[in-house]
Amino acid sequence: MSSQPLTTSQKKRSRRRWRGSSLAYVLIAPTVAVLLALSVYPLIYAIKVAFQSGNGESAHWTLEHFTRLVSDRFFLAALWHTLLYATVALTFEFLLGLGLALLVDRPLRGRGLFRALLLVPMMLPPVVVGVVWRLMLNPDFGAINGTLRSVGFTTDALTWTASPALAMLSVIAVDVWQWTPFIFLVLLAGLQAIPQEPYEAARLDGSSAWQTFRFITLPLLKPAMLIALLLRTMDLLRVFDQIFILTEGGPGFATETVSLYIYRAAFRFFDFGYAAAMSFILLIITNLISAGYIRLLQRQEAA
Amino acid sequence: MQNRTRLVILSITLCGLLLSAACRNANNYSPDAKTLSLALASGVEGDALKQAAREYEAQTGVRVTIAEFPYDDLLAKEFVDSNAQTGAYDVIMLDDPWFARFATPDLLAELAPLYQKRNQTGADADFVTASLALCKHPYETGKLYALPYVGNSQLFFYRKDLFDKYSLKEPQTWDEVLAAAKVIDERERTGAPDGSRVHGYVMRAARGNSVVADFLPIFWAFGAEMFDDNGKPTVNSPMGISALKFMLELGKYAPPGYASFNATEVSAHLLQGTAAMSINWPAWISAFSDPAKSKVAGRMAFTTLPGAQGTGRAEIGNWLVAIPKGSHNQEAAFDFLLWATAPEQMKKSAMAGNPPTRRSVFSDTELVARFPSYPAQLKSLETSKPRPRTPMWNEIENVFGIYLSRANSGELSAEDAMNQANAEISKIVERGH
Repeated sequence: MSSQPLTTSQKKRSRRRWRGSSLAYVLIAPTVAVLLALSVYPLIYAIKVAFQSGNGESAHWTLEHFTRLVSDRFFLAALWHTLLYATVALTFEFLLGLGLALLVDRPLRGRGLFRALLLVPMMLPPVVVGVVWRLMLNPDFGAINGTLRSVGFTTDALTWTASPALAMLSVIAVDVWQWTPFIFLVLLAGLQAIPQEPYEAARLDGSSAWQTFRFITLPLLKPAMLIALLLRTMDLLRVFDQIFILTEGGPGFATETVSLYIYRAAFRFFDFGYAAAMSFILLIITNLISAGYIRLLQRQEAA
Repeated sequence: MQNRTRLVILSITLCGLLLSAACRNANNYSPDAKTLSLALASGVEGDALKQAAREYEAQTGVRVTIAEFPYDDLLAKEFVDSNAQTGAYDVIMLDDPWFARFATPDLLAELAPLYQKRNQTGADADFVTASLALCKHPYETGKLYALPYVGNSQLFFYRKDLFDKYSLKEPQTWDEVLAAAKVIDERERTGAPDGSRVHGYVMRAARGNSVVADFLPIFWAFGAEMFDDNGKPTVNSPMGISALKFMLELGKYAPPGYASFNATEVSAHLLQGTAAMSINWPAWISAFSDPAKSKVAGRMAFTTLPGAQGTGRAEIGNWLVAIPKGSHNQEAAFDFLLWATAPEQMKKSAMAGNPPTRRSVFSDTELVARFPSYPAQLKSLETSKPRPRTPMWNEIENVFGIYLSRANSGELSAEDAMNQANAEISKIVERGH
């Protein structure tokens, strides 16, 4: 075949094919260029920064940023805070979001209004949420302690963001307040996409409400759950804005997360190498957890 | 075929245009004496310099472009720019604790040669010594890299009416402060304008700059120092630990939750009349004579900081103006620097609420009539003390602040906090070498 001379029509076709594909390359070239410039180049540069030390002529490859991480009690504490924050907030957001979605997924009066109200916290920028809650949690002038006092409680011990014991709880509560609606929304969409037939069949077979939930709703809702959990986990691990506004990582170090510590290292101390090294650790952790979710999701789809 | 060629040419041109636009920024700083570029802090201090720049434009015909940044961004922008020597800015505003990081011949233009070209020996003697000392590296004795523009130093604020009520005299020592705080805290259970209690003392104990700034005057008065002569950290000296113990004692008369207070909360308490004493910056003084802002207008007095074993010393917090080494307009920039820090211009900045750095402006009759606290401010500034001058200050302050805040929130004892802070500061110092 290949040794034979090409017929005219074959030549034409191949040229047309080449023309078609080269046009495609030309058209996507700007996008690829932008991607290379904005995400691939910075990534490679960050690797270089993380593994290098010194400036100009004294620059050399080193692992010192990574060895320093292991003995940095502040980094380890920040990592612990991040994992604690993500786990507790995710648990509450998921359970509350699921409960609300199940509650709203049935004909109720005022359902539309309820749904709209629930979405408000999610629509607010995290910085605004931080400022509003900072004011509400103020031990003296804040609305929360004010309300408690007006019904007769003593609030001297409730210093919220100033108390080492309550500060983490406070920032988690604010996250739950803001992001439960997200899980609610995704799960509600998931619930409404479940076809009615399995439910009808279950009813005919006389299954109980719990059995219907356990063996029909839950398995069919699993993809939506996994997607909601995946997105929230990634967001929680990199949380920055609300905490920065609410407590700035304080009191002391009680609410400092890895993102805040990275920010400080880079933009307050100009220790870009160390900040880049910490960013990689956070990236790896996030990727590992996400990969777990995605594997579960794929297994679900295959089944 | 033609269409394709056209497309290829089009996309190449587009990419080229993008690239050239990107490169132009980098190569466009041709020496042009008729344009100056300023980097300044947003807020009242930066506004005064902006105003001066506009006036300078009108007077001299030099075009001044202004880049305004919030406090933290300003440091990052200036530091990155100075290191890369882009020449993007000809004049930069620096907060004095940043100065040690910038004060090298690689980053800032030395001012002595610029003075010599104008047949002057150096900065004139009208500048407050403590302010000018900040602009030199090493401190006080070294080469001049900046000029002081805004002369902040801490003052002690107290409620004159309450002190008179309980026949307390203006506190000279921290022990007197503690005694007065106790009296007011116990007796003024419903004394605030809204009927709530008046706390004896209020301070900022949120981590970071806040708690360190409110603690250092106590620390210094107790005779402690953060570093010894060899640069080794000494915050856990016996004096240092007793200073922190004293702060915690004073904290008993502060509003609950003060361990998370920043300037906002402290000023809210003072303006609402729910706290009787505090260390604060002069920028707040005008708010206390404004009945629209303060429920206790006219009842606040201002004085120099109390002492203990040692004399009372305020922390200095000046804004400096300097010329980056990378600037292509150093001569023009220096002309502007001299003009903006001259008495006439500094008076205008002072009228807007910025404490000056010149003795002649501090004693200006019009200004003294308007700001009765000026004599106290000048005294406080002249006897003030700078934060330790190290390029690693931001990191050291961060760590020190964490442990001070943890002690104030009740998480750590004074001894533990100071010992752990000392260990962590040592690590930073070692890394810096």
